[in-house]
Amino acid sequence: MTNSSVRSTTISEETTTTLPVIEFVTPLPGFPRHRSFMLVRLDDDGLLYELASVDDPELRFVVVPPAPFFPEYTPEVSEESLELLGITAAEVDQLLTLLVVTVGSTPSRTTANLLAPILIDPVRLRALQVILAGTDNPVRAPLRSAA
Amino acid sequence: MLVLTRRPGESIMVGDDVVITVLEVRGDVVRVGIAAPRSVQVHREEIYRELQAANREAASPSKAAVDSLSQLLRP
Repeated sequence: MTNSSVRSTTISEETTTTLPVIEFVTPLPGFPRHRSFMLVRLDDDGLLYELASVDDPELRFVVVPPAPFFPEYTPEVSEESLELLGITAAEVDQLLTLLVVTVGSTPSRTTANLLAPILIDPVRLRALQVILAGTDNPVRAPLRSAA
Repeated sequence: MLVLTRRPGESIMVGDDVVITVLEVRGDVVRVGIAAPRSVQVHREEIYRELQAANREAASPSKAAVDSLSQLLRP
C-alpha cells in the first residue's frame, strides 16, 4: 500500500477485501475495552463509512469524512495528539479525519460530532479521537449533505 | 475520595509523574495546573462525560436507520 493510495478517503477495492485493522492509541471515550477497528465503506460515493470493532461484532460507529458535509471544517490538531499518534508535524497531512455520526430516528435528526473528530494515520494504522478543547465546535451538528 | 487542603503554589502528586498544582484561588474559581506525560490525556470532566455520552449514543445504529441515511445521501 503506497502513501498516495491511502491518503484519499476513498478506499480501493483491494483494501476493502482485506481490511486493515486500525488500533486506537487511546480508546474511544465510553468504550475503554475496544481498541481495534476496521474501516468499512458503506456506499459507492465515499460518503458513509463504518468503524467496526474487531473484537465485538455488535459494536460499530457510522463515520463520515467532513469535507462533503462541513466544507469549512478545519480542525487544528494539538501537538499532544500528534505525539499520542506517534507522528511528526510534517506528517500531519497524511492523517484522515472522520466524524462520528449519531444516526437519528429520521435522517434529519442525524448529527455529526465536530468537537471530537477521529484522526487516523493510514500508514501506521493508528487512530485517536481528539477533543478540540477551547473551540465552539458542537458535539451534535446536523448532518447536511452538500450533494 | 481523598480530600487534601492545599494553598496556591502547592501541589499534589498522582502516581509517579502527574503533578497537579493549585495556581490561584479567587472567589469560587480555582486555577489548576496539571503536568502529566503526553500519554496521559487531561480533560475537563464535563466535556469528557459529554463525549462518552455522545459516543454511546452513536454506537451501533440499526441497519435500517443506516440504510435510510445512505439512501438520503445518495446524489
